[in-house]
Amino acid sequence: MRLEKLPAEMAKRLSELECPDFTTRPWVAGAPLAERRVAIVSSAGLVVRGDKVFRGRDADYRAIPGTTQPNDLLCSHISINFDRNGFQEDRNVVFPLDRLNELAAEGRIGSVAATHYSFMGATDPVQMVDGAREVARKLTADHVDAVLLTSV
Amino acid sequence: MSALGHYLEEEGIATVAIALIRPQAEHTRPPRALWVPFELGRPIGPPSDPVFQKRVILTALRMLVEGGGPVRIGDFPDDDPREALDPDWHAPTNSPPSAGWGLGAPLAAAVEAELRALAPAYAASCVARERSTVGLSGLPPAECGAYLAAWLRGERPPSPVEGMSPGLALRFAIDDLKAFMLEAALTPGTRPSSRQLGDWLWDRTVLGAGLQVLRRTILAGDDERLKAVAAFFVPALRVASGG
Repeated sequence: MRLEKLPAEMAKRLSELECPDFTTRPWVAGAPLAERRVAIVSSAGLVVRGDKVFRGRDADYRAIPGTTQPNDLLCSHISINFDRNGFQEDRNVVFPLDRLNELAAEGRIGSVAATHYSFMGATDPVQMVDGAREVARKLTADHVDAVLLTSV
Repeated sequence: MSALGHYLEEEGIATVAIALIRPQAEHTRPPRALWVPFELGRPIGPPSDPVFQKRVILTALRMLVEGGGPVRIGDFPDDDPREALDPDWHAPTNSPPSAGWGLGAPLAAAVEAELRALAPAYAASCVARERSTVGLSGLPPAECGAYLAAWLRGERPPSPVEGMSPGLALRFAIDDLKAFMLEAALTPGTRPSSRQLGDWLWDRTVLGAGLQVLRRTILAGDDERLKAVAAFFVPALRVASGG
C-alpha cells in the first residue's frame, strides 16, 4: 500500500500500529525453490464455508484443505477498512492456491501443501503464539518447508 | 502477519510475508518480507490476472533461496493495473443521494426492494465466477435483508442465527449484504476498480444510505455492545460527513 494515498491520519495510525518487539532473529535456509513444498498462511480471517467464522479478534486458526473449492472460501476478517472486491472476483488475490498449483505444475516450486491455514490478523500477534506453533507442527508433518504469508 | 513469520521460522519453517504496510514490517523485522504497493486487501495484486499474480508470488518465494538475512525486506516495483477505472463498467442501479433517508418503514422497504432488484444480477455474477463470498451469517441474502430491514424500521429483532447475539448476527448479515451487492455489480466482461464499486455502493445505493443511517443512530445511543458492532458497518473512508 502506498500510504501517501491514504488520509494522513489513517496512514499515521497504520504505520504506527504497535508491533511485537522480538529479541531473536530466526532465519531458516533450505533447498532450491523447485524442491520446496509451499503452504499459504493467511491473516485474512479466511474460513471454509460451514466452518466456524472468526468472531472479533479470535486468536485461534482455521485449516483450509488444498481441495477447498473457490465457492467454499469466505473472509470473516473483522476489519472493514480493506478492499474485498478483489477477493470477491478472484480468491487468488488473497489466497493464491490456484497460482501455487500452477507453479508446481510448471516445476517452479516442488509441490503444494495438503492443508493451508488462516488467522485473524486484527488479533494481538502475541496471542497467536500457541496457534502458530501448533500450525508449525502440522506443516512440518506435511513436509512443508516454505510458507507464503499473506495479509490484508 | 510478520509476527507469524517470526513464530513459524522459530519452529524451523522458512517464511516470506507479503507486506502491505511497509512500516509495520520494518518494526516487526520478520525473516523475510516483500512489500507490495497494492491497496489493502489485495496482497497478490490484481484479480483475474494470473501472470501478474505469479510474478508477485515468485518474487516473494525467491527471497527464500536468496541470502541477505536474518531480516530482509524487499520491494515489489509495479502498481496494481486494476486500480485504473473501467469506462465500460456501469453501475447496476442508481438510487437517489443518500442524504434524504432516515430510519423507518420507507427506508426498510426500499432496501429490500433494491435487494430484490439486484438478485438476477447477483445470480448471473455467481454463475460467471462459479462462486460467491456470501455466507458468513449462514442466512440467504433475502433473509439477511429482512433482518436488516427490521433494524431499519427501528425494531430490535431477536437474532435469527442460533448461537449468535443479535448484534453479531447483524454484523455478519450486513457483511453478507455488502458482498451480495458488490458481487451483483461484478458484471461479467468488465473490470471495475474497487473505487468504482465503492463509490456506487456508498453513494448511489439505498443499502449504503441505510447503513450510514443505522450506524449513526446506534452510535448516538447508549447500548455500548451494539455501538461496538455499528463501528463495523461503514468503512472509515466512507463514513458520511456528520457521521
